[in-house]
Formats: sequence, C-alpha cells, structure tokens
Amino acid sequence: MLAQVLATVIFLAMFILIVTEIWERHVITLACALLTLILVFGVGMHSLPAIIETVNIHSIFTQGFWITTGESSGHSSGINWETIVFIFGMMVMVEGMAHTGFFRWLCMKIAKLVNYKVSSIFLTFMILSAFLAMFIDSITVILFLAAVTIELSQLLKFNPVPLILAEIFCANLGGSATMCGDPPNIIIGTSFGYSFTDFITNTGIIAGISLIFTIVYFYFVFHKQLEKVGTDVDPSTFPTPESAITNKTKFIFSTIIFLCAIILLVTHAQTGLTVSFIGTVIAIVTLIASGKDAITLIKKVDYKTLLFFIGLFVVVGGLEQTGILEILAGLIGKMSGGNVMLMIAIIIWISAICSAFIDNIPFAATMIPVISSLAATHGIDLSVLSWTLAMGTDIGGSATPIGASANVVGIATAAKSGHIIKWGRYCKIMAPATIIVIFISMITIYLRYF
Amino acid sequence: MEKQMIISIGREYGSGGHEIAERISKKYNLPIYDHNFLDELCQKKNLDKNLLAEFDEAKINKLFSRTVKGLNNSPAYNVANLQFEFLKDLAEEGKSFIVVGRCSEYVLRNYDALFSVFIYSNPKARAERLSKKLHITEKEATNMMYLKDAKRKKYHDAHSPIRWGKPKGYDLCIDSSSLGIDKTLDLLCSYIDIKYC
Repeated sequence: MLAQVLATVIFLAMFILIVTEIWERHVITLACALLTLILVFGVGMHSLPAIIETVNIHSIFTQGFWITTGESSGHSSGINWETIVFIFGMMVMVEGMAHTGFFRWLCMKIAKLVNYKVSSIFLTFMILSAFLAMFIDSITVILFLAAVTIELSQLLKFNPVPLILAEIFCANLGGSATMCGDPPNIIIGTSFGYSFTDFITNTGIIAGISLIFTIVYFYFVFHKQLEKVGTDVDPSTFPTPESAITNKTKFIFSTIIFLCAIILLVTHAQTGLTVSFIGTVIAIVTLIASGKDAITLIKKVDYKTLLFFIGLFVVVGGLEQTGILEILAGLIGKMSGGNVMLMIAIIIWISAICSAFIDNIPFAATMIPVISSLAATHGIDLSVLSWTLAMGTDIGGSATPIGASANVVGIATAAKSGHIIKWGRYCKIMAPATIIVIFISMITIYLRYF
Repeated sequence: MEKQMIISIGREYGSGGHEIAERISKKYNLPIYDHNFLDELCQKKNLDKNLLAEFDEAKINKLFSRTVKGLNNSPAYNVANLQFEFLKDLAEEGKSFIVVGRCSEYVLRNYDALFSVFIYSNPKARAERLSKKLHITEKEATNMMYLKDAKRKKYHDAHSPIRWGKPKGYDLCIDSSSLGIDKTLDLLCSYIDIKYC
C-alpha cells in the first residue's frame, strides 16, 4: 500500500512539475526516477529484483535486443532501451541531414516545382509534412517547413499562419502512420514487439484516410485567404534550392543514408533486425560519412530528451511494479462493462483529450501496461488496443498549442517573425480537425476489427 | 559624428518616470520608445499591431505555453523578444534613443552607450500624483499602482535575471519624491551630460 501511494504521488508530482516547467523536464523525470528507485522499490517494496527489472540494463546484452528470430519479443516493463537507442540513432541521422541542408533544399525544391503558387505550396507542404513525419521526428519536420514557409511568405507576400497550422497538423498525423513517426508509437512498437509493417498496415491506413479528409478540411477553412494572394512576384530573384546545400558530397551521402534507413525500417520484420540495431547502424554510418563534422553531430544530439525518456520509464515502472496500472485498467474495464467497442471509444477519446493538454509520451508510456492488462483480462486483441492508443495519443496532441512538440515549434517559429497565433485562433482551427480525425480513426477501427 | 546615446528608464507606476523620459527626450532631441514602440515595429515588419499590442509588457502564462528546443510558444514571450530584437537593431545601427521599460536596461546591457536609470518614489507621493493626474481617489490610485507595478515586475523578471528595480541592474536608482520631478530631471541631465559629453 505504501509503495502504491508513493509511486502515485511521485508520478503526479512529475506530471505537475513538467507542466509548470519550473525545471527542465529531463531533470524532473530523472529526479522522480531516483525517488522511485529509493522510495517505491527500496522503502516501499524492499525489492532489488524490481529495481533490476525496471533499470533493465541486462536487456541490451541479449540477442533479442539486436536481432529477433521468428516472433518478435516485446517487453513493457522499465526502461525501454530499444526506444532510447533507436531515437539516438535517428537524432544523429537527422542532424547529419540538417547539417548538409537537406530539408531546406527539399522544401525549396518543391516550392519551385509548383512554380511558387501559394495554393499548390499549401497542398504539397501538407503532404510533405505528413510524409517526412512518417520517418523523422515531427519537431525537425516543422522546424524546417515552418522556417521555409515564413521565408516564402516574405517573398510571395502571403500570411504564413494557415500553412504553418496545416503543416503542424499533418506532421502529427504523418507521425501516427509508422512505428518511428512519433515517440508513443516507438514505445508501443518496442514494448509489444510490433514491426514497421504492422504499423503502416494499421495506423498507416487510418492516417492515410484521415489525410484526405484533413486536406479537404484545411482547404475549406483557408481557401479564401489563399486566393487573395497576389502573383505579381518575379521568382527568378528567389534563392535557388541548390543554395541550401552546404556540402554536395555529404548531402548525397546523407540522402542515401536516409533512404537506406527507410528500407531497413520497412523490411525489419523480414530481416529480423530490431529498431535498436537499425538506430545504431545509421548513427555509425552517419558519423563516418560526416568526417570532421562527426563531433559536431554528436554534440548536437538532444541528450536531454533521451534522459527525459529514461527517467520517465523508471517512474512509470514504479506504477507498474506496484500494480497501480492494473487498478487503472480495471477501472476502464468496469466503465466499459466489458464492451470492447466502448472500451475502444474510452481509450481513444481519453488518450486524445489527455494528449491535448499533457505530454503524450508519458501518457502513452503509462497506458501501455494498462492496455496490456485490459487485453489479458478481457481477452481482447492487444494490437487493436495498441492502434487505438497510438491514434489517440498521436492525434490528440494537435488540438491545443501545448499538446505536441511540433505545435510548440511551429507556433514559436511563426511568432519569432511576428505572426502571433493565439490559443483561441489555434484551437478554433485545429480542435475541429482533431475531432474529425479521431472520429474517423474510431470508425475505421470499428469497421475493420469488429 | 555625435556620440550615441541610449537612455533606458525603468519606473514605478506614478513615480513620474514617463514624464521625466519625455522631458529628457525634448531636451536632447531624442526619439522616445514606450507605448508607441509597436507602431514602428509593426510598420517595419508589416505586422498586425492590434494583435501584438495585446501582449505588450504582458506576463508569460507558463500553464498555457511550452518550451521545446529553446523555442517558446507564448505570445507574450515572443512579442517581448520581437521588441528586444528591434531595440538591439536600433542600438546596432548606432541610433540614439530613449526607451521606457521593456526590460531595456538588461536587453541593451552590452552597449557602452547605455545609461540606465530606475525611478521610484514613496507610495504616498505616487498615489497623490496619480490621484491629481487621473482624477481618482488616492485609494483607487494606490490599488492601480500595486496592480501596474506587479504586472511590470512579472514582465521584467521573466526576461531578466536581475529583479525589477534592484540597484544592481541599473547605473542609477533615484527616488523622485525626494527632490521632486524637476530636480530629479536636473540631476539626471547632469549625469547624462557627464556621461555623453
């Protein structure tokens, strides 16, 4: 009982401190992780095995961490090192690509291909945002897309806010399509042993259907503003896409590495290579290809986010080991009265609403043992609950300016150039889009799996 | 070429800081940046002034904003930073000017041409002054004073590691109720003459 109370108090304190931003979030999760290890596992449970299982270092030295044979073996307890190693690898690769000017080149190239027509840029940037976010973290996608959008808006004299809002939404939507698109998906995938193909054939299809509705929605919301844009600008004076490339050889290498990473991810169920193996390989190859810049890339990796994940996994491990999450799962089961369709509705809408206001990563990490327990006790297909959780957490974050990191980056980038996006304006556009996509996701899950 | 003059005036509400700033502006023929700040900024960057004005010297609401990779999405934070950049650009261009508030003593601290002063006054003198100026009771003036000062302090302290009104942050702190507005002005002008001449 004492351990349960301590685990809950530490978890709630962590959430509140993250929201208040009194300290950086990695400091908060690491401090709470330390408290969990000492108070929950030490004082409350007197259990060394619980500490060993939660810290989970031993998993790195198993064969299954690098290569799976036959059925993939997932785990959902303690620090998910597979997620940490994979995200590290992707961070190195993305830094390498950004360093060579890949993202700016791609955005400028597409704008040029559509002859700098604003309505076409609007459409293509939405698709580009969704596509890139399938493989790269949405923060990086928006960081570059929003910056280029603002640059183009100054050249073409249009308001960049509609484009940035649409790009943010599509980045979050694209992230839901794959296993590596959004951190909750990586955690879900590595916890339950799902492959890239599993995601693309389930959440990917839902995201694809939703993207069509999203494009139509944003077109209807913004088409009047886009039509007003004048076309009396001479594009020959604009910077060429090639001017974005800082080093042509390294640019080619980073593009090849990116394409190889996609191939490795798409085929990892067939090859048996785990995402931690893929992450390690692409990091090593990127560092070798970057030559002298390798040290710069290593320094640029967002270690704070990795530490945030480590601390978070330990705190959630505290809840799991003390049985709190089983109680939560029991509550959801009771609320739904064993009705699976109602359970799906509860999970997707609660995930979406919570993710709209709090970080979706800790939420997803907390919910993983919950859905695992629900599936076991009610005899439900775990994968269906997983796709439900993934869609709810990935899409829900779009509804408010603080719901997802991509929103924060997009709004801040626009604001830095003087285009302030207020809460009211943001939610008026994005909340209905979020509700539409969550609704589409729920209906698709009902039609496909029941 | 004339020596660059950047005068930053921080002030308690009702202390007469704004009046002093205007009189220094007239005497030395320097442009003054205060409420009009955003007009020029918005004109220069073709932005919506009404939207930005809503967040001028406003506090950052931490509950409704977040920071990711050093980027913060609070409108108040970003409007403040736009103003800070505008001030730095002016200073970088070698222009002389007076700026009232806007955390300017901290933002422009690295420019040799900066003279920063904080004008305060005892609460009774401020309430009397405001009461006469705004035709309100002294009690109303006192309430207004505390609200405005709290707002300014919150805004300032969100952007500067040195607290609002703390002597360490300014070249000079002066109580305008001690000498009166005219004499305080004279004293500041003497300081300015010594610093820039």
